[in-house]
Amino acid sequence: MRLSELLGAEVVDEHGHTVGKVHDVRLVQEGPRPGGAGPGLRVEGLLVGRRALGARFGFGRGADRGPWLLKALLGSAGHDGRYLPWGRIRSIQARQIRITGTAGDLPRPEPLGEVPLHREQTEGSWRVRR
Amino acid sequence: MAQRLDAALELLDRQLVDKDGQLAGKVDDLELTDPGDNPDPPDVTAILTGPAALAGRLHTPVGRWLAKAAARLLAPGHQQPSRVPLDQVEAVGASIQLKVAAGQLDAGAGEARARRLIGGIPGAGDAAQ
Amino acid sequence: MRKLLEIALGVLTAIGGFVDIGDLVASTETGARFGLGLAWVVVVGVLGIIVYAEMAGRVASVSGRAVFDLVRERLGAGVGLLNLAASFFITLLTLAAEIGGVALSLQLATSVNYLLFVPIVGLLVWLVCWRVRFELMDNAVGLLGLALIVVAVAVWRAHPDWGAMLHSATHPVVPGTESHAAYWYFAIALLGSAMTPYEVFFFSSGAVEQRWTRSDLLVNRLNVYIGFPLGGLLALALMVAAALVLEPRGIDPSHLSQAALPTSLVLGKLGLALALLGFFACTSGAALETALSCGYSIAQYFGWPWGKLIKPARAPRFQLIVLVSIALGAGLVLTTLDPIKLTEYAIVLSAAALPLTYLPLLIVANDPAYLGDKVNSRLSNAIASAYLVVLVVASVATVPLMVVSKAGGG
Repeated sequence: MRLSELLGAEVVDEHGHTVGKVHDVRLVQEGPRPGGAGPGLRVEGLLVGRRALGARFGFGRGADRGPWLLKALLGSAGHDGRYLPWGRIRSIQARQIRITGTAGDLPRPEPLGEVPLHREQTEGSWRVRR
Repeated sequence: MAQRLDAALELLDRQLVDKDGQLAGKVDDLELTDPGDNPDPPDVTAILTGPAALAGRLHTPVGRWLAKAAARLLAPGHQQPSRVPLDQVEAVGASIQLKVAAGQLDAGAGEARARRLIGGIPGAGDAAQ
Repeated sequence: MRKLLEIALGVLTAIGGFVDIGDLVASTETGARFGLGLAWVVVVGVLGIIVYAEMAGRVASVSGRAVFDLVRERLGAGVGLLNLAASFFITLLTLAAEIGGVALSLQLATSVNYLLFVPIVGLLVWLVCWRVRFELMDNAVGLLGLALIVVAVAVWRAHPDWGAMLHSATHPVVPGTESHAAYWYFAIALLGSAMTPYEVFFFSSGAVEQRWTRSDLLVNRLNVYIGFPLGGLLALALMVAAALVLEPRGIDPSHLSQAALPTSLVLGKLGLALALLGFFACTSGAALETALSCGYSIAQYFGWPWGKLIKPARAPRFQLIVLVSIALGAGLVLTTLDPIKLTEYAIVLSAAALPLTYLPLLIVANDPAYLGDKVNSRLSNAIASAYLVVLVVASVATVPLMVVSKAGGG
């Protein structure tokens, strides 16, 4: 499977209501793999939002700044979306993801803080260096 | 504490840099294991790069067509995307640092082919000032 | 002292390199047909390119990354690809127009048909991009471009009625012989000729290759704030010259020779020679820049190695793209399509695509993740946003105006 199959997919709850579209996929570092291949990355959950263009096109990342004109047109900081843990997914078919429960009981995504400037992989674990 | 990163924000469209500092393409897509009926979440197995990988990213018909045209023009014969297995990644930051040289990557094939085409022209090996 | 020389060189080459075939054609044609009625557009265009070129230079200096590289990373592959496709196509069209311009300048100087010069010009452009010392050539043609000052001298020596000229420039009136649609069509064309997209890519890519840092920000600003307005003055001089000499005679410039006519009338053979040298130099410089920009845009989008300072074997796909682009550009000119018409289409389509080029740059220039504390000031944001609105309006109006005015002909 590819990441691009998840991005932009429509998320639908058990009542058939559209929760939104997948804007991003949260990955988590897992422990050192057997065979010493270094830590892997596993999907933990999906970030789902309503805006079609996603958080990227606006001024979401970093401080909330920019020309007011563009902010008004493109939407400003922050993610308006929800966090969907992988376990809540019932099925993935042809760009549509069906989940258990409703949109309402999805939590807000935990912010990862400012995008770190550098991460290093040493001795089997990623280290964040700011 | 386990580190987390958001794939689209921090991995996708980032520059790949090889061990010698050479540019080696961009992260065009990520290869995941197929969850199938397994409830466990998928693992990331490789970074995918190249125009063929890009075509999968674009969902609008125009974008898809453009990427496919680019794939045929710029990476002919390589309809499959180039893979960079995750264990070849050294660090993830402003750019993705790799442990290997670009030439050894599957992704290096495009540059190699272009080098064969123009390498014969005198002066290819000399830096202009 | 050495720093001062460097700055002087930068400013002088910015002045001499400002004008390209687009400015030559647009300024002369609008001067001949509308007098000074469109002079204000040159002022608007120059201010616009100053604001955005400074931004591009700052982005490159502080982040160490070139514009196309960052546009994709910041806005995603889809938007980036749309941006790339439009930008590449227009830069290629402009490259063809510049090659045509060089060939036409040579035709004017030697009376040999321009088509015969095209393959030679293409080959020489490619050679410089491939191997010959680029910096040397770029500086040389930039300085030679200063020969265009002769046009300003000719205007001065013609003793025009400055008061009347100022009045007609500040009170623009559409002449009876022209339609309003044609007036606005040429306004858009002039805007496109001043705010050329490739300028931004070339500028930022050069800054990255030369490893500009924060300490180079001042030099960057000097080049832009001093060099570009003076370069814009040269474009204005061309317009005034055409307004003074061609308009009263009802000459509708369809040949490059007519751009040189005013200067040769006032200053004779020497004036003509210098004007032709200026035309040759500025179109050559622009041909080099557009050829490289074709390579920069594609290579930076896909993340391939790029650069004119590294050996070609280390950036083979980039070099291949430059080579193919030059071949395509030269090929387009060899179809015997009128180079002047080709230039008009290039600048008008450039104008239509300007929002696609400048909006991503504006977004990137406001992102502290790339620029830290050097993000846009409120003032530059205010001006840049205002321009974006103007550019979007111009972009939307381009095709309708092209149709209604029959591409400026009617």
